[in-house]
Amino acid sequence: MLKSWKLKEIVLMSLFAVVFGIVYLLFLHVGNIWAGFIGPIAYEWIFGIWFIVSIICMYIIRKPGAAVVSETIAAAIEVLLGNAVGPRLILSGIVQGLGAEAVFAATRYKRFDLWVLMLAGVGSSIFSFVYGYFLGGFSVYSTGYVALMLGIRILSGAMIAGIGGKAVADGLLATGSLRGYAISRSKKGEARA
Amino acid sequence: MKNALHRMNPSVKFLAITICMFTMAFFFDPWTPLVFWAGVLVLQFFFSEINWKRWLLFMLPFFVTSFGYFWTTLVFAEDSSGSVVWSIWNLQITETQLNHALSLSFRVLAFSSLSLLFALTTNPVTFILSLMQQLRLSPKIAYGVMVGYQFLPVLKDEFVQIGQAHRLRGAGGEKNTLQRLLGVRRILIPMLAGAVRKAERAAFAMEARGFTGERRSSYFRVISMGKLDIALVSLFLFLLVLSCTHIWWLG
Amino acid sequence: MHEVIHFDKVSFRYPDEEKWILEELSFTIQRGERVVITGPSGCGKTTLLYLCNRLYPDNCDGILLGSVKLFGKNSSSFIPGEINHRIATVFQDPDSQFCMQTVEEELAFTLENLHVKRDEMENRIRDVLALTDLTEFRYAVIQKLSGGQKQRIATACALIMKPEVLLLDEPLSHLDPFTAKKYVEWLDELQQKCAMTIVAIEHRLDLWGDFFERSISLNKNEMAPILIKRKSSKQKNDSLVVNKLQANTYLQETSFTLKRGEVAVLAGPNGSGKSTLLKALCELIPSSGSVESKLLGYVPQSPEFLFLTKNVRDEVGFGGGDNTEELLARLQLLPIADSHPFAVSHGQKRRVAIAAMLSDGREVILMDEPTSGQDAKALSELFQLIDERAREGTTFLIVTHDMEFAYCLADSILLMNDGRLTGQFNADIVWSDDHLLMDHNLLSPKEVILREKCFA
Ligand SMILES: Nc1ncnc2c1ncn2[C@@H]1O[C@H](COP(=O)(O)OP(=O)(O)OP(=O)(O)O)[C@@H](O)[C@H]1O
Ligand SMILES: Nc1ncnc2c1ncn2[C@@H]1O[C@H](COP(=O)(O)OP(=O)(O)OP(=O)(O)O)[C@@H](O)[C@H]1O
Ligand SMILES: [Mg+2]
Ligand SMILES: [Mg+2]
Repeated sequence: MLKSWKLKEIVLMSLFAVVFGIVYLLFLHVGNIWAGFIGPIAYEWIFGIWFIVSIICMYIIRKPGAAVVSETIAAAIEVLLGNAVGPRLILSGIVQGLGAEAVFAATRYKRFDLWVLMLAGVGSSIFSFVYGYFLGGFSVYSTGYVALMLGIRILSGAMIAGIGGKAVADGLLATGSLRGYAISRSKKGEARA
Repeated sequence: MKNALHRMNPSVKFLAITICMFTMAFFFDPWTPLVFWAGVLVLQFFFSEINWKRWLLFMLPFFVTSFGYFWTTLVFAEDSSGSVVWSIWNLQITETQLNHALSLSFRVLAFSSLSLLFALTTNPVTFILSLMQQLRLSPKIAYGVMVGYQFLPVLKDEFVQIGQAHRLRGAGGEKNTLQRLLGVRRILIPMLAGAVRKAERAAFAMEARGFTGERRSSYFRVISMGKLDIALVSLFLFLLVLSCTHIWWLG
Repeated sequence: MHEVIHFDKVSFRYPDEEKWILEELSFTIQRGERVVITGPSGCGKTTLLYLCNRLYPDNCDGILLGSVKLFGKNSSSFIPGEINHRIATVFQDPDSQFCMQTVEEELAFTLENLHVKRDEMENRIRDVLALTDLTEFRYAVIQKLSGGQKQRIATACALIMKPEVLLLDEPLSHLDPFTAKKYVEWLDELQQKCAMTIVAIEHRLDLWGDFFERSISLNKNEMAPILIKRKSSKQKNDSLVVNKLQANTYLQETSFTLKRGEVAVLAGPNGSGKSTLLKALCELIPSSGSVESKLLGYVPQSPEFLFLTKNVRDEVGFGGGDNTEELLARLQLLPIADSHPFAVSHGQKRRVAIAAMLSDGREVILMDEPTSGQDAKALSELFQLIDERAREGTTFLIVTHDMEFAYCLADSILLMNDGRLTGQFNADIVWSDDHLLMDHNLLSPKEVILREKCFA
């Protein structure tokens, strides 16, 4: 898989990961404070922000693996930035990335419409929730509460990661700096067709 | 001996910590995470030279989170069997509920300090090199991450500089908060655009230096593994077993 | 087989542009040759170089016709990075050619890529640093070095590979005159010792003496009028008053005053703090002290981060000036007026930034090495523009390593050394004071002075 990747695509993911790593870190603190008042459900509203990088990178690069690899790199960078959640985050990153990847793989990396991106956000939400269910010990909560958490997370994944991710990537595309990446090629193809 | 955790091989440390966390996830009594947490603090006290003030600063938000877990578990717990130990207003709190609540909040503390132990005793660059040398991470990814990490200070400066540059060009200069918030979007996109360009340049530079992405035959900085790592891993495992088997020795 | 690089009817264009940058270009470079590639700014020299080291067409989806052969093999038969074990490159923009944090790491990274044995690495690093006279920078953080220092480091990184071919993209453009002269002498020696093939891009051949054996010209160089010393347009009242300015531990307390319509040149060795001073003046870095002036304009050494819009025309007209078209035409930007400011050549980027600053009526304009990477025509046009604006009352502070340009332009000269402003001199005094020149790594522009004597 790595063979087909250009070096500049990998470095791009890594630099995006740094930018969003800074954003994530900001949100983690916000989430932590909230969690003190309203419990673990505090994270659910903003959970989508953690998936955004995988969706942006996949939308731009459009190669198998872009979602998992970028999300994992983002998590790794966050750990390197001295995030207190630490090494565990790398595993969360892999799991979240896999969720989005699964959706893109199901479309055979051919479709990148808004609804696919939103579904990818939902994919990340579900995968990460299962993982969180286990590590966070959610099994002690009542079913209703767990269902509520899941519902909010799915919504957040679809809205923040799906819609937000597309908005950011499209904004970037409009600046003309994404020349030489798959996203520009496809836009041209559509225009010509 | 005081700096043993700093000298420990980062990959080994990473694996040891991950194993500990996954094992802990199976326990729902308050004592296991509590004993483990205490153990981590002891390890940290004897084998690392961290700044405890900094530690406390990082830990503070997690104390808050842990409290959040505590009361939500009390309220929303599934299993409400066992004798009632506590009742406030019309809320009946049973022993199982209390145990679960305590367990989850201690778990948060144990996980956080374990993670902090890693973060505060590990040099990022050494960690990446070690991932490549010990865990056979692909050099393409490893160096990609390293380059990204090294651009961190640059990107931070850029955040300020872009704002300044906009003002220099006659853009920006918003007064009220709302305009400023909208201004952040004006900075985020150029920052990402800058990141795209930097990525391309850095990739060109790497390629021009002969980087093909294949495995290297020798390293300038070798990250080694040794007796120290075996000793520390044993300590971690001992601590893990100790806290998981507390039923027997605590009675 | 002695053909190192062989182009056969090569045409190349970027995917989004209609225009072919290179058309039916054929040439051959033999082992051990010293070749210079010349041509006006924006004619495709850098693009050509990128084809020689195989970065293009792979990395930009460019369209390539004809055949490029490297060491007798088709260039597309190499995997990315493979050919770069034998062909080393020094890029044009000093800011964007490194991937590691410190000089030592960068060098070690290169050696690892070449599969050098570990016990050999230390020696090779030490040797190349001694050879390039950069030993003091071994543990320096690259991002913090000055433009000229970075360019020298880049050469060291290329040489540590012991390459068969060395590609240089305007290697002197950010070096101070004395260092540039030494660089050429040293490269000459080196080439004779290890018989490298050297291919360089250069606008101004006078600094190189008779270094090159042969030149490949990409485009007919149009004749440009020679520069003639301008008359001072300095007026009475002050327009920039700097008082006890100090920044980031390197720049020491600086005070000076510039008058309306004054053109001042700031010169000094690489790493003496010129760029730092300009950044402090327009508050890009934290500083103490006071700067009194109205509406400052600034053209940075690497101008990219100033760009805000999607095409060159908007970029120049951003401040709302009404002479955008005239500026575009005069600075030869019309052909690229609709291109994205990031996707133009290095020299063009610089001119875009200059045009943007000149277009909207700023009273003081600071320029950091506006002359680097410009061809003779652009240089003369820039000279005229500055002269006109100065007559209208604009004040200029210009950093340059081009002594000829400085000689013809400057009313006064500010000299810097080791982070300190050593003085503000009347221009004529500086050119005749050999000690002063030597202390600041400058050379007197003998040819121009001679030319002037003939005219007189
Ligand atoms: N990435 C790009 N995408 C599209 N066009 C480009 C790109 N880079 C350069 N160009 C165009 O190609 C032409 C040649 O650029 P190149 O950088 O090769 O010029 P150059 O001869 O090196 O100029 P200079 O002396 O100013 O560095 C320019 O007109 C420029 O506008
Ligand atoms: N961000 C920084 N932090 C610390 N030191 C710096 C920083 N930027 C530059 N320096 C140091 O300040 C000195 C002056 O750098 P500056 O870029 O001002 O030089 P310069 O006179 O413009 O040189 P050049 O002609 O090579 O461009 C250099 O020695 C450099 O190491
Ligand atoms: Mg060029
Ligand atoms: Mg400079």
